[in-house]
Amino acid sequence: MISPNTLHVVATELVVGAFALSGVAFLLCLAHQYLPGSIRSSYRSLDAVAHAAMLFGLIATPFAIWTGLSSAPGGEMSSPILANKMLFSMSGLGLASGVLLARRRLGISLWDEPRSRLTQGVSGLGAVGFMLVTASAGGTFSRGESLLDWLHLPYDETLLMPTALSAILLLVGIACTTIGLRSNA
Amino acid sequence: MINQRVKVLVLLLVLVASTTFSAAEPGGNGDGLRDMQCGGACHGDAGQNATSLLTLSIEYPEHVWAGQPAEVRIVVEGVDVAHDEQLIGLFLLSSTNANGDTPLEDGWEILSNGQGGSGNYVERSTDGTGSILEHTWVLRADAIGAKTLYAAVHHADASGPSQGSPFFGISQGFEINVASVPEDLARIHEDFTPTTAREVGEDLTVLLHTKYTDATQVEWRTEDGAVIQATVNSTEANYWQFTLPAAIAPSTIEWRATLSGEGPSQTTPWFAVSAQITPEEVDALPIYLQGLAMGLVLFGAVLAMQRHTGQTDESLKIYDETPTIEALQQAEETAEPQPAIAPLPEGGLPPGWTDEQWQWYGYEYLAGTYGDGPQ
Repeated sequence: MISPNTLHVVATELVVGAFALSGVAFLLCLAHQYLPGSIRSSYRSLDAVAHAAMLFGLIATPFAIWTGLSSAPGGEMSSPILANKMLFSMSGLGLASGVLLARRRLGISLWDEPRSRLTQGVSGLGAVGFMLVTASAGGTFSRGESLLDWLHLPYDETLLMPTALSAILLLVGIACTTIGLRSNA
Repeated sequence: MINQRVKVLVLLLVLVASTTFSAAEPGGNGDGLRDMQCGGACHGDAGQNATSLLTLSIEYPEHVWAGQPAEVRIVVEGVDVAHDEQLIGLFLLSSTNANGDTPLEDGWEILSNGQGGSGNYVERSTDGTGSILEHTWVLRADAIGAKTLYAAVHHADASGPSQGSPFFGISQGFEINVASVPEDLARIHEDFTPTTAREVGEDLTVLLHTKYTDATQVEWRTEDGAVIQATVNSTEANYWQFTLPAAIAPSTIEWRATLSGEGPSQTTPWFAVSAQITPEEVDALPIYLQGLAMGLVLFGAVLAMQRHTGQTDESLKIYDETPTIEALQQAEETAEPQPAIAPLPEGGLPPGWTDEQWQWYGYEYLAGTYGDGPQ
């Protein structure tokens, strides 16, 4: 019998590995015009790596969240770090989903237009950043240390909005999504 | 091409060299109920483990009776001698299977882990312990017969040749013969389970259920070893009540009872009660709601912002046409100025034209686009 802790380690390593690879590829895609010709000409491959790795990480993320909740000692939200992990991972999940859907709708030509290139690259890196911070918070929670300790992030403080404000934000999110889905790609 | 490969190789080497090598969880992993495989392979690959040089043994009472609590103590010798451990994880195991090997799998009940829990794994700091570290569990066997227990340790080493490696060690098996309890032994009832944890600032009233007991004395001690007698009241036959005072800070106190009746008397093991501050309960729903909302907003924002604008890099490219414009301007400046009034054709003004008409439409007349035009 494999414990939720072990499953959580497996799932998070898959997520972090996939998103880290995706992050490097997104960075190179975003800056491909300023890179040497050999890299510039292969940005189609970088695009494929960035989005495929992100898709893989996205698929593994719900498993990481689920096993994390199962393995959390003392309850699902017994610590501000766990609450922050939930907020970070959900934000990363939303951002990564948007990036992948946008890529599917616009195709690879999105890298040809400065505005869409910037949006895609920054959003992709943002999703990766959220996931890495989530993993860092997890490391801080379980081991008391993390590779991002040098940033001194305040994991033990949670910016928790009132429920009513969250509900309003949810409506705004639904509106944004509706507009985004209806917009002519 | 070779130069480029060398650059990539150097970059990869720099990235690999910049990673830190350390014990995977130097801050520990917390007490709990864990199989040996956690200590043997928590770092992803059991092959990374080094063998601990600590000496492990288990001490237990001469008589261990089925259904009665018994102290089982792990003794670790050689602390801070062979290794620089700082933190040691101690396992109490029932086999070396690595999986399904907690004492629970062999019919034991863990009444106390000595640190406010009821798991088989505890973490102990080595600060101030000297070279011998002892830790005590209180177990209760469910049936008579021989049972084997093992002690295992898991720790790091902050110095020495294997610095940073995870160390693992396990003792030989210690066989404990669980006997049937003497018929009239004054004893704790099988349904009694001691409280192992409480909140800081709260008293703890214990209702002790016994059998064959006419009198009970309870004493408790603090971490500094001072032993204090508690006042015990009998609520009814074989039920005894006493109160442990509140702790003002997270700490552990232990209590034990001396039971006496018509049969042999018995002193129970020390039961540890930890005072701790439980994190404030948080309603998870607002956090889920906020997380969902943030995710949805970001998802929608990306979709709303991402659209084809038709402005490619090529269309937005800025061309410098200054030389062309300057050349055109220069050509215009050097060209011979055209007279304002068209020259009159041979024979003078066309019939019926006035001077003013010629002034305005003379060129069109000559070009044949106005009037009859020159023949």
